[in-house]
Amino acid sequence: MAAKAEGPQARRFKKSQFRSHTRPAHWSAEETPIAARPDQLQARRWRRATQGTDEVALPSAKFAKYNVKVEVPIYDDETYEKHLTSTEWTREETDYLITTYREYNGKWPIIADRYEGPRSMEELKARFYHVSATIFGIRTPISGMTAPEFAHYDTLSTFDPAKETARKRLAEGHLQRRQDEVDEETVLLSELQRIMLHQVSLDSEREDLRRRLDHPQANTNGYQYSTSQSLTQLWQQLLAADRLKKNQRLRPTGNSNFDGLPGATPTSARPRDSISGMPGDRRQTRDSLPSATTAQSVLPVDLSKAELSRYGVLINQDKLPSGVTFASDRLSKPRIAKSTLQTDKIAAILTHAGVPELIPLPTPAVIEGFEGVMGKVHALLEMRKLAEKEEQEIRVRMAEAA
Amino acid sequence: MPAPTSKRIRNTQLRRHFIIGNESYVLPHPLFPDPPDGHTKGWKVYVRPLPNGPDMTTWLKKVQLKLHHTYANASRTIEAPGPFEVSETGYGEFGVEIRLYFAPESSEKAVYREHYLVLAPYGTDEQKARQERENLVVSERLETIEFNEPTHDFFKTMVSEDQFEWLKVLEGRGKGRKKELVFHGETEPTAQLPERPIAAVHGDSGTGMAAGGAWSRLYERQVLGQLQQSGASLDQALEHERREMESRRRKMEELGMAVAAK
Repeated sequence: MAAKAEGPQARRFKKSQFRSHTRPAHWSAEETPIAARPDQLQARRWRRATQGTDEVALPSAKFAKYNVKVEVPIYDDETYEKHLTSTEWTREETDYLITTYREYNGKWPIIADRYEGPRSMEELKARFYHVSATIFGIRTPISGMTAPEFAHYDTLSTFDPAKETARKRLAEGHLQRRQDEVDEETVLLSELQRIMLHQVSLDSEREDLRRRLDHPQANTNGYQYSTSQSLTQLWQQLLAADRLKKNQRLRPTGNSNFDGLPGATPTSARPRDSISGMPGDRRQTRDSLPSATTAQSVLPVDLSKAELSRYGVLINQDKLPSGVTFASDRLSKPRIAKSTLQTDKIAAILTHAGVPELIPLPTPAVIEGFEGVMGKVHALLEMRKLAEKEEQEIRVRMAEAA
Repeated sequence: MPAPTSKRIRNTQLRRHFIIGNESYVLPHPLFPDPPDGHTKGWKVYVRPLPNGPDMTTWLKKVQLKLHHTYANASRTIEAPGPFEVSETGYGEFGVEIRLYFAPESSEKAVYREHYLVLAPYGTDEQKARQERENLVVSERLETIEFNEPTHDFFKTMVSEDQFEWLKVLEGRGKGRKKELVFHGETEPTAQLPERPIAAVHGDSGTGMAAGGAWSRLYERQVLGQLQQSGASLDQALEHERREMESRRRKMEELGMAVAAK
């Protein structure tokens, strides 16, 4: 089928498609007062007639529900005289404030901007809240308020203008910070936190080290034991306490005058004996008992000192480990610390001091010498560790002082 | 029924020195007649007593030496009295695990010691040169075993004179007299270290020694002297640190005041 080429464009649709098939609605433009405004301004708008009738609906009825007004405290002269007088605010100004508040719907930035007068927003707020709170308090007594009402009342009455200004200024400052300042702040805060956390432990460590280096201070006064009598008493006390212990460290001297208890028993047990050699003998045999408990005669074979040395026997040793031990262990074990890093540090210090890695001769004298050296190594390590921490602190303080 | 273990003596310790070590030779060497191919060194690892000390078999009944697992019969056991030695050939160094079994009177469990087998020359250049020249590399360690709180029976065996019999020579004092054991030699036998090295082949200091020759009080004094020197140098370092700490403390005070003044 060939297209009809009429006019500039070929018509593809029928004209009747666009015709309206219903009766046209009635529209009217009349001036009507506006409900939301208090004055008599007439507004002229095109309004469509509602379906079926020719009546035109009132225009601002639809929007009437959006005309909310803020709640404003209302007072009469009497109430004002009684509760609301203030040195800084006159009656007129208070009224003006309340009117402005109502007019601008309680939006404080606008109120503060539009307010005529040198008052800051905080001052306006303070006065308004104070008035509100007082009126509210009069209206409903405090005991009669519900929980939210009371919360409301409380917030109104505890408004502090100075604090609010400061807070707002701080927030403003925060907002205006540059990026590098922000970074610096975070770094400093973390440093501060670390320092606070370690403050206590660092102080105690420092004290500990200083105490170790300084001359040891005695806690008790030694002069109370200066007389021979008090010394004897001290000896007896220690002997008695030692006897109760499992491993006796002290050996009684065998002299009854000094040892207290063992010597005292025979003299008190036999008070009836005459003053002849007999009690003296008994005392001797009694006294040999304490010496008999010494370790020497516990050995199955009695050995002279030379023989002890010849056979490598050591007696009266305290704190012996159980089983078989090796002396060379005491030359190698102290070099190993819990972490490999510490072990390396110890090895470095030892080689620097000239101690060979393997000491092949573990005699008691050598072991003692080595233990002395190891003690110094440990002290050196501790001091170095502390030195690092103190250096760090100095750096921090220097940055602070700069 | 008598108790199997006699009571232990408290606060007493028995000490014995002995030597663990090894010798190594470059092959071929007359001691090792027919080495297999690829083995460059012959070595002997041993556990020995001090040259003038009491007999080791008094307390040591058996020694088990565990060689590297590539050796056939890696676990070599030697019982008393024989010399506690193992000779072998090889080419690599390894750790030999030595297990010491004690006399039953002691009622102690066996202990392990480890000895690293050294085959190549070591030490200062001078020592190395000497080792190469004599074709003998020795690596020895003096070990001191300590029996803590020994049993009564063990103690008695360990303090009897019989221990020194192995050093003595049986000889007669004259006609008609019974032969008896007499000790010939310079130093009296004792369990302690001798004053001077015995059979002083390498009498001077140094780590190259053989047959336990150089273990003596002389050597001990040298080692002690060395340790003292080290102690002195450490003291110096400590002093240095102490001075540093003082200066730091003063600086901190200054800075503290500067900060407070700001």
